[in-house]
Amino acid sequence: MSDPILIADDLHKSYGRIQAVRGVSLTIARGELFGLLGPNGAGKTTLISLLTGLIPPTQGRIVVAGRDLAHAAQAVKARVGLVPQDLALYPTLSARDNLAFFGRIYGLTGRRLRERVEAVLQIVGLADRADDAIQTYSGGMKRRINLAAGLLHEPEVLFLDEPTVGVDPQSRNAIFESVAALNRAGMTVIYTTHYMEEAERLCQRVAIMDGGRIIALDTPAALIRSLGEGLIRVGLPAGHLEQVAGQIGRVAAVKQVTRRDGLLHIEALRPQEALLELLDLTNRLDVRITSLEILEANLETVFLHLTGKRLRD
Amino acid sequence: MLNQIFALTWKELKIFFKDLGAVALIFLQPFMFIVVMSTAMSGMFRAPEDQPIPILVVNEDAGQVAAAVVRQLGETAGFTVETTWEGQPLDLARAEALIVAGKRNLVLHFPADFSAALENALDAADVATTTVRLIADPATPGQVIAPIQGTVQGLIERNALTALAPRGLDYLFQAIAPDTPRERQQQFRDRAGLALADGFLGGAEGRLPVALERAAPSAMPIRQFPDTYQQNVPGYTIYGIFWIVSALAGAVLVERRDGTFRRLLAAPLPRGVMLFGKLAPYYLINLAQLAVMFGASSLLFGMKLGDSPAGLIVVCLAAAAAATGLGVLVAGLARTEAQIGGLTTLLLLTVSALGGCFVPRFTMPEWLRTAGLITPHAWALDAFQDLFVRGYGLAEVLPKVGVLGLFALAFFAIGVWRFRFE
Repeated sequence: MSDPILIADDLHKSYGRIQAVRGVSLTIARGELFGLLGPNGAGKTTLISLLTGLIPPTQGRIVVAGRDLAHAAQAVKARVGLVPQDLALYPTLSARDNLAFFGRIYGLTGRRLRERVEAVLQIVGLADRADDAIQTYSGGMKRRINLAAGLLHEPEVLFLDEPTVGVDPQSRNAIFESVAALNRAGMTVIYTTHYMEEAERLCQRVAIMDGGRIIALDTPAALIRSLGEGLIRVGLPAGHLEQVAGQIGRVAAVKQVTRRDGLLHIEALRPQEALLELLDLTNRLDVRITSLEILEANLETVFLHLTGKRLRD
Repeated sequence: MLNQIFALTWKELKIFFKDLGAVALIFLQPFMFIVVMSTAMSGMFRAPEDQPIPILVVNEDAGQVAAAVVRQLGETAGFTVETTWEGQPLDLARAEALIVAGKRNLVLHFPADFSAALENALDAADVATTTVRLIADPATPGQVIAPIQGTVQGLIERNALTALAPRGLDYLFQAIAPDTPRERQQQFRDRAGLALADGFLGGAEGRLPVALERAAPSAMPIRQFPDTYQQNVPGYTIYGIFWIVSALAGAVLVERRDGTFRRLLAAPLPRGVMLFGKLAPYYLINLAQLAVMFGASSLLFGMKLGDSPAGLIVVCLAAAAAATGLGVLVAGLARTEAQIGGLTTLLLLTVSALGGCFVPRFTMPEWLRTAGLITPHAWALDAFQDLFVRGYGLAEVLPKVGVLGLFALAFFAIGVWRFRFE
């Protein structure tokens, strides 16, 4: 990997008996658009909080742009931008006042501050509403100003925590375009989401997170390929699972069979052929199928296969 | 860092002054208290002749003693005697009805046997008591009744003595100098009567040999006694500045709830600077409150601000520090709006009352006066009264300023210790 800009080594974060992050290690390259995919409660926001220095880890080390976060927090924070999941704006102030305030917090002053405020307003396409109070904006517009505030100081690494939650499609596309353009310009972006299609569309690599752990990390294509061309989930009486799993696993169209939560997960190289073989087998063995699901190979299916849960339960 | 503090302060001030409700609470509420309460209590601080207390008098006595008492009461500064109502002479029933109707608070009633009882006192073997009644609305405070009762008691005793003196002299002559010629006895009697009537405590003519005047201790260099504003404005102002606790703690909670706190924590902004930047605007608002309250009271009501501008500034700085420090403490302890509301109400009302903002501490029981010393309000109020009312300067108020500073430090330290950054 060329020039890592962020290294997280064995991160843990506990709140009493609750372990929000358990042993997370990852390395992100400079200029990468890295996705963090997982359901609500997976630990994504806690991990982001650790990586941006909001909260200290219980254990582990974080290095950003060559600086250890534990010893050079202020220097790291000056290079990092955060677009939080919750809108972090002052509703009674205008967009311009909000941006000017946050710009000053990041050390921008005078003409440089004014230039950056105008620049980010252009990026998010809200220059014409800059002097209106935030509380008069639509949800999508607020999200765009939320993004703008994270860009003021031109960070080397930008963390976006679920930036499109509750946003209309038009604003959502605008945010996608902005993020992609920033990445093309060289900014490293870490993008958390529980929408599979966002991760597939934007990210060069995706870490799938659940229960405080990273359970898979690769390019979206590689993660999807790991399933073959599709996934068949079949429910069978408990006494027949082993027998069926053993026989269907020898079929050429099947890549791999695993048992999870009382179901068989059949990773199929050729889903249709694998399905016909399965039906033929269960007929011969006189085994009743209690449930059957055929899933397209995508990140959501990968998550389901790895955890037994859906991304948006 | 300074740029960050300025940015935090300016942002907070902009948000605060957009909230008209908060502005009204912080500035208007204490000012309304000052105007209403000072005006309501202004009579307590004027010279008696400027606002005399009306007393209805029902004199059923046919003799001269009661008449003399009534006449002298009417001549005493601070009282207005009313013996008629709407052109009709007052009787007891009518006078009591006026109290019940709330039109008057006091009736002085002389019974029909008043003078006769006094005259018979020297002759009778058993002295019969005659009762003069001061009839008052039960809701009238004892502190108002007591001085009136004392004045009437004094006048009755003097006039009773005057009335009884000739009879006493008769007994005296009979007992020790029965051979004194009648003319000499009469001369002596007349001279004694004049001396008693013209007064040890004032009369219609003659120089007063004794005068009673109000004074202050010689160590307190005041030039004139305080008016209602000098007495009331400091108390209600101190009550008012501590409302900043609610504004400051609420602002911290809103910052957490709205997510901006999280964004600030992700910025290269040291936590101490963030807290200081949150505190500074409310400290400035406190100082503005003090300036507005004292300035407006001085301009509109002529309130005197003492002779020590340095002392006034220092006490204001210290009082505001204690108030904003308490705001940090509540911000550190409270987790919800309901908790802020509850803590604020409990603190502001209870502690303000204990500190003497509503009722002077000298009227409280000893143990309560001592308890009041655990409040910053008591120290601030005392310091302001040192400047406004007692004529003291910077040197005299410095110890109290020191105590206020300790309150501020303690509140801030506990608040920071309990403040949740995660």
